[in-house]
Amino acid sequence: MAATRRLHKELEDIKKSGLKSFRDIQVDEQNILTWHGLIVPENAPYNKGAFRIEINFPAEYPFKPPKIAFKTKIYHPNIDEKGQVCLPIISAENWKPATKTDQVIQALVALVNDPEPEHPLRADLAEEYSKDKKKFMKNAEEFTKKNSEKRPSD
Amino acid sequence: MAENGQSDGGNLLSTSGESQAPDKRVAARQLIKRYYFQLTEGCGDPNCKNEHCASSKKVQPLSPNQAAAQALDLFARKGRLCVGTSKNELPSTFFPEITSAGSSAMSDQQLLKQELWVPPTLNVASYSANDKSGISKLTKLTETSFKQIIDNCNEFGIYSKLVHTLGHVFANPEFLGQSFIRQGNSCTSTVGHGQLSKEQLRSMEVDLDKDKDSQEAVAEIRLQDIGQEVSVDICSVRRSFEAFSSIQSQNYESALVHALILLCETIELDMKFGRQKAEVNLLNVFVIVFELPWLGTGDYFESVLPTLCRACALLPLTQQATLVRFWATHSVPNLRNLVQTLQQLISFRVLSGDFGRDYAVNDDNTITACVKVMRILYCVNIFSCTTRSKSTDASNDSMETDDPSKDSFDVFSFGIDPTPRLGPKQNKTRKNDPLMAELVVNVLDCRKPPVAFTDFYNEPLSDVVEMDRDFAYFAAASEAPPSASNNAIKISFMNFPFILTPAAKALGLYYDNRIRMYSERRQSIFNSVMNGQPSNPYLKLKIRRDHVIDDALIGLEMVAMENPSDLKKQLVVEFEGEQGIDEGGLSKEFFQLVIDQVFNPDYAMFAFNSDTRNFWFNPTSFESDAQFTLIGIMLGLAIYNTIILDIHFPMVVYRKLLGRKGTFEDLQELDPTLWKGLTELLEYPDSDIEETLMQTFSISYKDVFGVVYNHDLKENGASCNVNLENRREFVELYADYLLNECVGRQFAAFRRGFAMVTDESPLSTLFRPEEVEQLVCGSHIFDFEELQNATEYDGGFTAQSETIKYFWSVVHELSVEDKRRLLQFTTGSDRVPVGGLGRLKLIIARNGADSDRLPMAHTCYNVLLLPEYDNKEKLKERLMKAIDYSKGFGML
Repeated sequence: MAATRRLHKELEDIKKSGLKSFRDIQVDEQNILTWHGLIVPENAPYNKGAFRIEINFPAEYPFKPPKIAFKTKIYHPNIDEKGQVCLPIISAENWKPATKTDQVIQALVALVNDPEPEHPLRADLAEEYSKDKKKFMKNAEEFTKKNSEKRPSD
Repeated sequence: MAENGQSDGGNLLSTSGESQAPDKRVAARQLIKRYYFQLTEGCGDPNCKNEHCASSKKVQPLSPNQAAAQALDLFARKGRLCVGTSKNELPSTFFPEITSAGSSAMSDQQLLKQELWVPPTLNVASYSANDKSGISKLTKLTETSFKQIIDNCNEFGIYSKLVHTLGHVFANPEFLGQSFIRQGNSCTSTVGHGQLSKEQLRSMEVDLDKDKDSQEAVAEIRLQDIGQEVSVDICSVRRSFEAFSSIQSQNYESALVHALILLCETIELDMKFGRQKAEVNLLNVFVIVFELPWLGTGDYFESVLPTLCRACALLPLTQQATLVRFWATHSVPNLRNLVQTLQQLISFRVLSGDFGRDYAVNDDNTITACVKVMRILYCVNIFSCTTRSKSTDASNDSMETDDPSKDSFDVFSFGIDPTPRLGPKQNKTRKNDPLMAELVVNVLDCRKPPVAFTDFYNEPLSDVVEMDRDFAYFAAASEAPPSASNNAIKISFMNFPFILTPAAKALGLYYDNRIRMYSERRQSIFNSVMNGQPSNPYLKLKIRRDHVIDDALIGLEMVAMENPSDLKKQLVVEFEGEQGIDEGGLSKEFFQLVIDQVFNPDYAMFAFNSDTRNFWFNPTSFESDAQFTLIGIMLGLAIYNTIILDIHFPMVVYRKLLGRKGTFEDLQELDPTLWKGLTELLEYPDSDIEETLMQTFSISYKDVFGVVYNHDLKENGASCNVNLENRREFVELYADYLLNECVGRQFAAFRRGFAMVTDESPLSTLFRPEEVEQLVCGSHIFDFEELQNATEYDGGFTAQSETIKYFWSVVHELSVEDKRRLLQFTTGSDRVPVGGLGRLKLIIARNGADSDRLPMAHTCYNVLLLPEYDNKEKLKERLMKAIDYSKGFGML
């Protein structure tokens, strides 16, 4: 497969670098175009759990950007109920073929840690986040405890 | 330099039916003056052989009155006039402004008398305000001499010298043609004062003459290639003309206008009667004159521009081509202005003329000349943006080589056909415009023209052209051998398709189609009489609603196999078990049904791109070629039967249909994301491109079923890395694969089907890809105001009826989607026809008094039947219900 060589290299590099916030990376031998992994945020309220994501690389990678979806439910202004996330770095307008997947993941982790209510996917949560942060934090924490994955022990 | 082309007094008397009497009078007066001075003073050439020239010593001394009488006589007889005819200086009576200018002017006059015989070696640059006599010797202008004249004139506030210069040089093609000549490198930014002496200029002239001699010896056909180049320094011309701005225009305008008229008429007549002398560089003349900044204003617009165009239109194609090449490198920024000025002139002539059956626009030689000049500009537009280095002519591989209609007999070869023969085979390959052929350019190669192609449409002209007659001229012209003289055949605007709006061209295509259909029909009657075989004059399809595709496929396949020319008959569709008679509505519905099914993603013939909302061929389609051929036939039939289809192909499909391969630029529309990624690759700045991207010449793609395929763009592509050197190649191979190679089989079948129907029509010569798309899909803008204005009422309704008012107020409130569905309901298609919604000719008819009945539509006639609902809410409710339930033919 054409994109394979680069993806294998990227996967290897990411695994080697031992990111704390992105772990448990699983890739099907048969299909390197789909990656699974666990986002482990550091900031409250998401530091009470971990979130499973799926990264889908198009056949035309790296000339087309990958797509990211959350498999774990999350209470977040920039991530909708279907798990879709709006990440500028992988939008069609901004994508650069030279962008590496680890940069994408770092951007994603940063977004999870620090929501951007100015560009929301869920306007209701964005409003709550801006107007009543306390309430938002409380709701988000409860939601995280209830819905998210267990954080890895180490 | 013996004889001057302008000497022919007949120029002025035999001009075409233009009303330029005052101009003529001025020009005539100038000529008589020249005769007068020739008789009294001579041309200054001691070897002059002209018996009417004082310099030849053959003229008896004359009194002023005698001289004047003889000058008049010479004028009437068109006597010979010497070129250098000296002394355009006129007696003071001719120049009241000089005598009235006081003492300085008087001394000016005296000085002038003293210096009458200035030696010809005079340095051009040394002219002062006083040596006017030099003007008569002046056979060319340079930027310096011209500016000096202007400076001098400004200094003394007397403009006679400028007026003389303009009248002298600008009225004479030969003089003007050797003015502002490029010296050394083109476009010298500043011209120093160390100007060339006259001797130097002379020697340059000799060089030019040498060129011409050798040219005459070498080539007769392509003589322009060597000799007739534009040798004007255009920057110098521009700077010189800017100098005009220091003078008030009334000081020189009339002189310049008259000179230019004389100039253009001289050129026009000389060319018409083949008296054009080889040493006159007309290209220089046209380049200089078209640089004049005021061509679009006042007298220039009304008097100069028409004659200028008439003269310019007579240039041989090779010279027009030279002009195109020159302008394409030097005048592109001015192009839009020039196009607009010409459009104004054409519109002005069209609107002020009285055209009818007896005198069509095709007969107005100013309009036709303007259109021919417009073609030059159109070619400049194309030429300037065409990169011919990478010609993407598809004629080699992706172009269909097999001829789908090879076994079709020539249906027009029977004597019974009185309609013009439609040169059947020659249209098969895109017949390029002769000027474009000369330039080796094709409009299809021009992606981003400096002036939008739509700016070349002239609506008033398109409206007034009688396309039926124009089509007859067109057919006659394509009949005639190319060598035939153009005079016998009237110009057809269909040969200048850029000037016509798509709507007018569609009409031309319609006549072509109709004439073909009628001759097909007549042919079938003829056959049935001769062979005793009953034959159907229509292309008849019997369709079962639940087997639309199969029935269409089998029906059309049979026709295509047995007698492909039947495809050109008028289509008549019959749905089994339904009583509708096809007056157009049923075929419309039939088309829509086929399209709906074929483009259904589940059918997987085409892949839908949800970002662009376009369809592209599915390279891994299970369907046979025949299915794609069917779609091609359908597309052709839709154009042939003027039916608008709801299909969304990217433009590259139409480009490919017209014979061009898809290229990387086309990828932008087909897959903008991928295009952008590849563009990033091309712009990647660093040399670590191989390590960063790790891209090889092996690519993957996913088909509609989600299966990923790999493809090597070249041999051993997987082991060949993309780097800074080969990335362009990679991108082009990538695009070529996606747009051409991987859908090659499907597209070839599709194109074959399309060609079965359209191969003999002038479609490809008349329309650009985006216009073909408009023909097939209609325009994309819903202007319901326009529809309302064009709607007619019937059965008791008028525009003022309450129900009609309710109707339009409801319609204008509808969402775009509902408007689309309303259009679908009333006309059978949700696309706007070429020329806008106003062309739909919607009729709203009263269908009884207020009742609960639903509105109905006769899609074939675009009739909407509306009961006289007595309130708006009810109308809206009923209308929406009717739209929701519409599909299928029958009574609701």
